[in-house]
Amino acid sequence: MEIQQARETAVRRTPKKRKNQLPIAIIVLILVIVLAVVFGQISSGLAVAWIFGVAFGVVLQKSRFCFTAAFRDPILTGGTSLSKAVLTAISIALAGFAVIQLFALQSGKGVPGAVNPVGIHVAIGATMFGIGAVISGGCASGTLMRFGEGFMMQWLSLAFFVVGSLWGAHDFGWWQQAVISASPKIHLPSLLGWPAALILQFAVLGGLFFLADWWGKKRNQA
Amino acid sequence: MAEYRLDCLGEACPVPLLKTQKKLAELKVGDVLVVEIDHSCAMKNVPEWARKEGHPVEIEEVGDGEWEVYIEKAK
Repeated sequence: MEIQQARETAVRRTPKKRKNQLPIAIIVLILVIVLAVVFGQISSGLAVAWIFGVAFGVVLQKSRFCFTAAFRDPILTGGTSLSKAVLTAISIALAGFAVIQLFALQSGKGVPGAVNPVGIHVAIGATMFGIGAVISGGCASGTLMRFGEGFMMQWLSLAFFVVGSLWGAHDFGWWQQAVISASPKIHLPSLLGWPAALILQFAVLGGLFFLADWWGKKRNQA
Repeated sequence: MAEYRLDCLGEACPVPLLKTQKKLAELKVGDVLVVEIDHSCAMKNVPEWARKEGHPVEIEEVGDGEWEVYIEKAK
């Protein structure tokens, strides 16, 4: 086969010049553990955040999980495997948050988690974020992960990601006054009751999953 | 049965994929396109797209975080 020949000649042409990364990996692992202990002495929450942060990074890098691709690839390539992965992740998070919120509400606390007003500002921000993410090659998590992988172009993305975030923080007061404070805060379970809210949310996610699956197969045949 | 190389080093997703799609369209059936990439995301969507289109694909990691994707144009 042509492809085999091309590959074999290429392998001979470009001899392996890879460094052994194991010593670096061991040093980094020791550093992660030492820092976890140090953070743990300051506050246990800090240590938990540190371990979860590192774990998230590892999972993101190893799984090549990319939120940007989940929204971009269905249109660009017809690939929907990442879209389905994101929908699955949201479904699992939905079930988990439902349990956490139910327990919190039963013990008389307020609704935990970030319940924020929804309005036109979300649509404007999402569109701007989407354009930026596709041009710069990654959303927040993707940019951070590839920054760590050593992809230099994304170091530039991160620099402007910080600039943009600072600018956003600077103007946040205006948005808060102009749009956000006038928009409604919606917590579906409080509005519809838990069974109806959960059924509605899972139905929407399931519908989107079905749609993504159908779209992926349809584009495959074309 | 020619072999073409496409340099996508330093290009972020989705640029390598768009370049691959364009380049592959110019090739003849049986030609092999070697796409050089160093963006981990392109490592996923370039082979995924090519396989979906029905072209045989192989991947070789030629250096740390540097890959060559071999695509044989099948149709």
